[in-house]
Parts: sequence; structure tokens; C-alpha cells
Amino acid sequence: MKVKKIPQQLIPLAFLLALAVAALVIMRLVLLPETFGEYGHYRALAVDDVAALDIAYAGHQACAECHDDVYELKQQSNHRGVACEACHGPAAAHIEAPDEYAPEVPRNREHCTLCHGYNPTRPTGFPQIIPELHNPRQPCMTCHQPHHPELPHAPEECAACHRQIVNEKAVSHHASLSCTTCHDLPAEHLVDPVMVRALKPSTREKCGQCHASNADSAPEIPRIELATHGEGYLCWECHYPHQPEANR
Amino acid sequence: MELILGNIVNDLSKITGYIYPNEFELHWGILVVVYPYLTGLVAGAFILASLERVFDVSSLQPVYRLSLLTALAFLLVAPLPLLAHLGHPLRSYQMFLTPHTKSAMAMFGFVYAWYLMVVLLLEIWFDYRKSIVVWSNEKRGVTRYFYKFLTLGTTDISDRALRFDDKIGRIITIIGIPSAFLLHGYVGFIFGSVKANPWWSSVLMPIVFLFSAIVSGIALVIMIYMVTTMFRWKRLSMPCLNKLAELLFYAIIVDFSLELLDFVQRLYEAEESITILSQMISSRLFISLIISQIILGTLVPTISLAWARFGRVPDEMRRLMYFIAALLIQVGIFSTRWNVVIGGQLFSKSLRGLTVYKLELFGLEGALTAGLLLILPFLVLFVLTRVLPPWSAVESHVSESPV
Ligand code: HEC
Ligand code: HEC
Ligand code: HEC
Ligand code: HEC
Ligand code: HEC
Ligand code: HEC
Ligand code: HEC
Ligand code: HEC
Repeated sequence: MKVKKIPQQLIPLAFLLALAVAALVIMRLVLLPETFGEYGHYRALAVDDVAALDIAYAGHQACAECHDDVYELKQQSNHRGVACEACHGPAAAHIEAPDEYAPEVPRNREHCTLCHGYNPTRPTGFPQIIPELHNPRQPCMTCHQPHHPELPHAPEECAACHRQIVNEKAVSHHASLSCTTCHDLPAEHLVDPVMVRALKPSTREKCGQCHASNADSAPEIPRIELATHGEGYLCWECHYPHQPEANR
Repeated sequence: MELILGNIVNDLSKITGYIYPNEFELHWGILVVVYPYLTGLVAGAFILASLERVFDVSSLQPVYRLSLLTALAFLLVAPLPLLAHLGHPLRSYQMFLTPHTKSAMAMFGFVYAWYLMVVLLLEIWFDYRKSIVVWSNEKRGVTRYFYKFLTLGTTDISDRALRFDDKIGRIITIIGIPSAFLLHGYVGFIFGSVKANPWWSSVLMPIVFLFSAIVSGIALVIMIYMVTTMFRWKRLSMPCLNKLAELLFYAIIVDFSLELLDFVQRLYEAEESITILSQMISSRLFISLIISQIILGTLVPTISLAWARFGRVPDEMRRLMYFIAALLIQVGIFSTRWNVVIGGQLFSKSLRGLTVYKLELFGLEGALTAGLLLILPFLVLFVLTRVLPPWSAVESHVSESPV
């Protein structure tokens, strides 16, 4: 049997291929972290690395030991859920040596607007302002005590806490309706909203007041047959009341 | 109060209907548009080269090497938009060390590497080997050593060795065609398999991607061929151009039919998403889909190609029409990518509203970066044509013959 000569050009290629494979194998041996894959598709030691990091935050309770006045004050206020270090920054070092390391004291407006600047993704009911319009250029502390941010007086508008809903409604078909058309609410809701709830409509008849075919309302309002339209469901299971759509 | 209302209206006039709060910003911006556009050009240019090779379409000879180099230049740049979009380019090699077989995106690294190293570089090397060996003897100075290095130590340019080169080249091409299909089909696959997104989720996606890739690749090669020939003061080979235009015409017909099929199927299925999708098409995507993709990017070039290729048109005019058609097709295919990537994020998953894409000019994800990444492959191609001139071999026997 005649043995064919290997063509010359295959030799360097075979060599390169071997080199590439070897490089990959060596790189894997050298660069692949030892504990990779122990728990999952990641380096198991990463968990220990994170655990070994210096602790930067001391926690809420730690501050109370020395600043009990501030702590007590804050616990009485609506900032009770906001930890001291959310505003003052990590302060574990301050606890070790209070005189050497002083935490930051955020006096600029931008700090407060991190949480209170208007942003549609914030939960409904969260107090929000538009920084450019809300008493511009004055530090927030002139009117709000950061450890006890009681409002000077109750907000006049629902937008103070429900700006997203107000905005949506403002450009919807329901723009002309005021919030209280559909929501009965005690005045205290504006002051202590979580404890004193506003009411929401509970029956189809509420919407029927204006939309039922026989309702006594403005003629341009679109009508439906209250008895049959979307029967068995509440209206707002299909129409978002603050921005109703009807495919028109 | 007026100011407040002004603000509100300004904020909200951007969106219509109801969108979830986290849909206001798009996560995949223009860089993710550029990426499938570039890989599409790679696959298209390569498939064009393969036609010449495998099916012996000899009139395409003048663009064979050019399309291979084009594919290489664009392939080298193709991952850059992704790296820029993801950040941490220095970590990208880890993808190869720890293959994650359950992640389509992670495995794509291997598809890319296979295509670059096993298909494209090898094919180019075998094709140029003879020339490289010759150059390494002819040239002087540093360039000589450079070419010596490129020969990888081979010197054999006997007939037997060259026949072997040719045979291997053919085998690689045959492997290369499915690989090129895979490369770009894969990009479509990644979009097509996003179940939650009715604009993307379609089994036709990889196939539509593939054919649009072929269309864009051929059009690109036409443009590059015409421009480079012009700047070298050479004559264009009319048979070659005509053949290219013909192929482009067939490809665009298939591509457009597939897209129509996809579209009609969606209309007929009329899933719950159809309302918001048609709203999106008639408002947000009107310019980029109806005008730029369908009218300017498909219908006008199809007509002008058919007219120029099969009508009675003087060569001068014919060339101009080909060029304009190819240019419009580029615009069209870029819009296609735009409509897929951006369009897929413009409507809310609530199917109740639309957001807008706010393209920035500067910044890593801005229009300037995208422009740069679109120009870069041409610079790479320029360098490649300097190192490996693709034309010398065939030019001598090109003549202008009427078709
Ligand atoms: C061991 C007692 C101690 C604990 C615990 C402690 N502090 Fe202090 N803190 C002090 C003392 C003492 C000062 C006054 C130092 C000074 O005036 O320079 C001070 C001052 C401050 C100041 C004012 C700095 C300034 O520049 O005016 C802030 C803010 C502060 N502490 C925040 C905190 C926070 C937040 C915590 C909890 C993580 C905390 N402290 C825990 C002792 C303590
Ligand atoms: C909402 C953000 C916020 C939180 C939460 C907060 N602080 Fe402050 N703190 C401030 C601001 C702003 C000032 C500066 C007040 C000023 O200059 O009038 C300040 C000032 C201080 C001072 C300086 C002395 C003083 O009373 O003016 C101390 C001490 C202090 N805070 C401790 C605390 C401790 C302890 C807690 C947690 C129990 C806490 N802070 C929680 C924002 C906050
Ligand atoms: C880490 C986020 C955070 C920061 C920073 C913050 N707040 Fe608050 N703020 C809250 C929370 C949480 C509430 C309680 C909201 C609620 O009642 O639902 C609140 C409530 C308020 C209220 C309304 C109180 C009421 O009675 O309705 C005011 C006013 C206020 N903050 C002012 C400030 C000021 C001024 C600053 C800057 C010094 C500030 N906040 C910084 C989270 C923050
Ligand atoms: C000139 C005094 C003043 C300044 C400065 C000021 N506020 Fe107010 N703020 C008020 C008053 C008064 C109210 C309550 C009534 C209302 O809604 O207007 C209020 C209400 C609020 C509310 C509740 C929501 C609302 O719209 O009613 C928040 C939150 C708030 N302020 C945060 C801030 C923040 C953050 C800053 C700094 C960027 C700031 N305020 C600066 C006077 C002030
Ligand atoms: C000081 C802030 C604040 C103001 C001002 C305010 N709300 Fe609320 N509202 C809240 C909070 C906080 C909630 C509770 C959100 C939650 O827990 O889900 C709430 C809840 C509601 C709810 C839902 C109640 C439920 O059971 O789900 C309605 C309806 C409502 N508010 C209507 C109004 C209307 C109408 C106004 C204006 C007249 C108004 N609110 C003004 C803070 C406010
Ligand atoms: C057309 C009647 C109508 C009007 C006007 C209206 N609401 Fe409502 N609202 C409803 C109904 C119905 C619900 C209950 C929706 C549900 O349970 O899904 C509701 C729910 C809410 C809730 C609970 C959270 C949510 O989004 O479901 C808040 C907060 C609220 N409304 C605030 C307001 C505010 C603020 C205004 C004025 C800007 C307003 N509403 C105007 C009918 C209305
Ligand atoms: C006080 C009267 C009133 C009440 C109560 C009311 N609506 Fe309306 N509704 C209107 C008006 C006014 C329009 C706008 C008509 C127009 O577009 O000219 C409207 C429009 C609509 C539309 C049509 C939107 C479109 O796309 O054309 C729907 C749907 C709707 N409302 C649903 C509801 C639901 C659900 C409720 C109960 C939660 C409700 N409405 C309660 C007055 C009311
Ligand atoms: C099962 C879902 C569903 C329910 C429940 C439902 N709707 Fe509708 N509604 C629709 C759809 C879908 C349309 C648009 C198609 C049409 O016009 O019939 C619509 C249309 C409307 C319109 C516009 C009619 C027009 O002529 O343009 C109004 C007003 C309306 N609904 C009010 C209501 C009210 C009030 C209720 C509660 C009594 C309600 N809907 C309950 C689904 C529903």
C-alpha cells in the first residue's frame, strides 16, 4: 500500500490547531478559578470573598446608643423606616472612633430628591415633588426637619403623593373628572394616608352613573348597556379607570 | 400651573397608552441594531463568495476575493458593538473558558470563533497561499518578512500543492455555507426565541434574518466593487455586475416574500398583540418600516434592479441604477434591523401602550459610536486590500461584453 505524503501546507495548520487547543487547555487550567462550578456556573469562593469584605455599615440600632435623641425623634416621624446611614452614609468607622471619623451630613437638595424627586416608578402614595417647582434654590432643611419631616401643612393636592395617577388622568378621557368624583376620602388621608384609607369604588353602578345608557349625564359621554356590557366583571377589570381606553 | 402642565404633557406626550414604568427606557439601543446589521453583511458577503466557488459561477470571479475580504473585515468589527454595549470587554474571553451550554448568547461566542478561525481565515489563507508565497519572494525589506510570516513556513507552490489548496478551499466553502447560515440564523434565533415578545417570537425569524443578510451582503459587495474599481481607474466587468444584480434581485424577492408571509401569518393569527403592533407600525415605525424598509429599501430597489437588469438600458445608466438600488437596500436592511431591535421594545408588555426610543448623540451608546462602528469595517477592509490585494489575478482577462 502506498502511503500518501502529507501535503506541506497542512503541517503548520495542524501545528496552529494544536497550539490553539493547547492554549485553551492551559488557559483553562491556569485562569479557571479552582472552585468554579462547585455550586453553579460561578466561582464558589466568590461567596467567601464577599463575606470577607470590610463591614461598612453599622446598622440602625448602633446609632441609638449615643444619639438617642435623634433616634427617638426619627422613630416618631414618617422617616422611621429610613435608616440613619441611608442619609449619612456608611458609618461603621464612626462607631469605632467617633471623634476621628465623622459621617457625611447631606445638606444639599439633591440628596433629598434622590428619594423624593418625581419618578413614575415610585409606589403610589409616596410623597414626591418636582424639584424645579417645589420652593427652588432653598435647602430642604429650612422647612423640613430631616429627622422629623412633618409637613408644615397638609398637602392640597393628591399629586403630592399620587403624581403618576394625576399625570395619567390629566391626559386621559377622564381628564375632566376630579379624583373625588370616584373616591370618597376622609380629610385625614392627606395627613396620615397609611392609617386613614381613601375609599375606592366597589360597584359597576359607580361608573354607570355617567356611562349607563339611561344615565342622566352629559350627552358626549359614551354609553354602554350597564346590564350586559362586560357582564359579570367589574368595569376596572377591563378599563383602567385613570386612563380608560375603548379601542376607538 | 401652566409650567407643571407643560412638564406633564411633555413627559407623557412621549408615551401613549399604558406602559409599565420600567419600559420607559429601552435596554437595547442602537449598538444592538448595528450588531445584527454587521453580522448580516458578513454572512451575505460570504455566501456570495461561496456561490462562485461551489457552483462555479465564473462571471463572479472578479468579486470572489473581494467578498471574502469584505466578510473578514466586517466580521472583525462585528463583536465590537456588543462589547461596547455590555461593557467589561476584558472579561469577554471567560465566555470561552467556561462554556455555558444553556445560554444561547454565551454559545454564540463559539459559533463566532468557529466561523472566524475555521471557515473564513482558512479559506482566505488557502486561496491566497500561492500569492503570499510569491510575494514573500518578490518583496523587499520588512514586507518580505511579513509575507514570509503569513506563509506559515510553506513554500510549495507546485501544481499538485495548488490543486490540493483548491480542493481544501472547496471543502471549507462547503462547510462554510451552513456555518454562515448558522452565524446569522443564530442572531435571528436569539430574537426569535424570546417567547414573551410577540414582535420577535417567531420561528421564521432566523430564516428572515438569513435572507435579509444575503440581500445586504450582495448589495454591499456591489457597492464596494463599483467604488474600488472606480478609484483604481479600472473598467467594471459588466457580466459580473449583471450577475450580481440578478442574484440580488432573486434574493430580495425571496426575502420580501418571507417577510410578507410572516406578516400575513401574524395578521391572520391576530393574537392579542396584533392591535398594539399595528398601532406601533402605523405610528412609531411608520417612517422606518413603511417608508424606509418597505418602500425605499425594498420596492424601489426591486423595481429598479429588474428594470436595469432585464430592460433595455445603456450600461452607464444601468451601473448608476445598480448602485442606487444597492445603496437603498443598505438603508432598507439597516431599517429592518432597527425595526426588529427597537420595535420589539417600543410597545408595552401590557399590550396597552407605546414608548419612544430616545437616541442620544454622544456617549458609548450614542449615534456617533454607532456611526464609527459602521465606518470602521471599511477602514479594516482598506488595510486588508493593501495587504492582500484581491484584484490582480483576474483583471487582465476582463473585457466589457454586452449582455
Ligand atoms: C460611640 C458613640 C457614637 C455612636 C455609636 C455613633 N456616634 Fe455619631 N457622633 C458621636 C460623637 C461623639 C459625635 C460628635 C463628634 C464631633 O462633633 O466631631 C458624633 C457626631 C455625629 C454626626 C455629626 C457629624 C458632623 O459633622 O456634625 C453624625 C451625622 C453622626 N454622628 C451620625 C452617626 C450615625 C449615623 C451613627 C450610627 C451608624 C452614629 N453617629 C453612631 C458618637 C457616636
Ligand atoms: C433623611 C435623611 C436623614 C436620616 C434618615 C438621618 N439623618 Fe441625621 N441629618 C440629616 C441632615 C440633612 C442633617 C443636617 C441637618 C441640618 O444641618 O440642619 C443631619 C444631621 C445630623 C446630625 C448632626 C447634628 C444635628 O442634629 O444637626 C446628627 C448627629 C445626625 N444627623 C444623626 C442621625 C442619626 C443618629 C440618624 C438615625 C437615627 C439620622 N441622623 C438619620 C439627614 C438625615
Ligand atoms: C432613602 C430615601 C429617603 C431620603 C433620602 C429622604 N426621604 Fe423623606 N421620606 C422617605 C420615606 C420612606 C418617607 C415616608 C413615606 C410614606 O409615608 O409613605 C418619607 C417622607 C418624607 C416627607 C413626608 C412626611 C409626611 O408626613 O408626609 C417629607 C416632607 C420628607 N420625607 C422630606 C425629606 C427631606 C427634606 C429629605 C432630605 C433631608 C428626605 N426626605 C430624604 C424616604 C426618604
Ligand atoms: C419654603 C419651604 C420649603 C422648602 C425649601 C421645601 N419644602 Fe417641601 N414642602 C413645603 C410645604 C409647605 C409642603 C406641604 C404642602 C404642599 O404640598 O405644598 C411641602 C411638602 C413636601 C413634600 C410632600 C409632598 C407634597 O408635594 O406635598 C415633600 C416630599 C417635600 N416637601 C420635600 C421637599 C424636599 C425634598 C425639599 C428640598 C429639595 C423641600 N421639600 C423643600 C415647604 C418647603
Ligand atoms: C401625603 C400623601 C398622600 C396624599 C396627599 C394623598 N394620598 Fe392617597 N394614598 C397615600 C398612601 C401612602 C396610600 C397607600 C398606598 C398603599 O399602601 O398601597 C394612598 C392610597 C390611596 C388610595 C387607595 C386606597 C386603597 O385602599 O388602596 C386612594 C384611592 C387614594 N389614596 C386617593 C387619594 C386621593 C383622591 C387623594 C387627593 C385628594 C390622595 N389620595 C392624597 C398617600 C397620599
Ligand atoms: C372614574 C373614576 C375614578 C377617578 C376619576 C379616579 N379614580 Fe382612582 N380609582 C378608581 C377605581 C375604580 C379604582 C380601583 C382600581 C382597582 O382596584 O383596580 C381606583 C384606584 C385608585 C388608587 C389605588 C391604586 C391603583 O392605582 O389602583 C389610587 C391611589 C387612586 N385610585 C387615586 C386616584 C387619584 C389620585 C385620582 C385623581 C387624580 C383618581 N384616583 C381618580 C376610579 C377613579
Ligand atoms: C362623572 C362621570 C363619569 C364617571 C363616574 C365615569 N366616567 Fe368614564 N367617561 C366620562 C367622560 C366625560 C368621558 C370622556 C368622553 C369623551 O371622550 O368625550 C368618559 C370616557 C370613558 C371611556 C371611553 C374612553 C375612550 O377611549 O373613548 C371609558 C372606557 C370609560 N369612561 C370608563 C369608565 C369607567 C370604567 C368608569 C368607572 C370606574 C367611569 N368611566 C366612570 C365620565 C365618567
Ligand atoms: C370584559 C371586559 C369589559 C368590562 C368588564 C367592561 N368593559 Fe367597557 N369595553 C370593553 C371593550 C373591549 C370595549 C371596546 C369595544 C366596544 O366598544 O365594545 C369597551 C368599551 C367601553 C366604552 C366605550 C363605548 C363606546 O361606545 O365607545 C365605555 C364607555 C365602557 N366600555 C364603559 C364600561 C363600564 C362603565 C363598564 C362597567 C359597567 C365596563 N365598560 C365594563 C370591555 C369591557
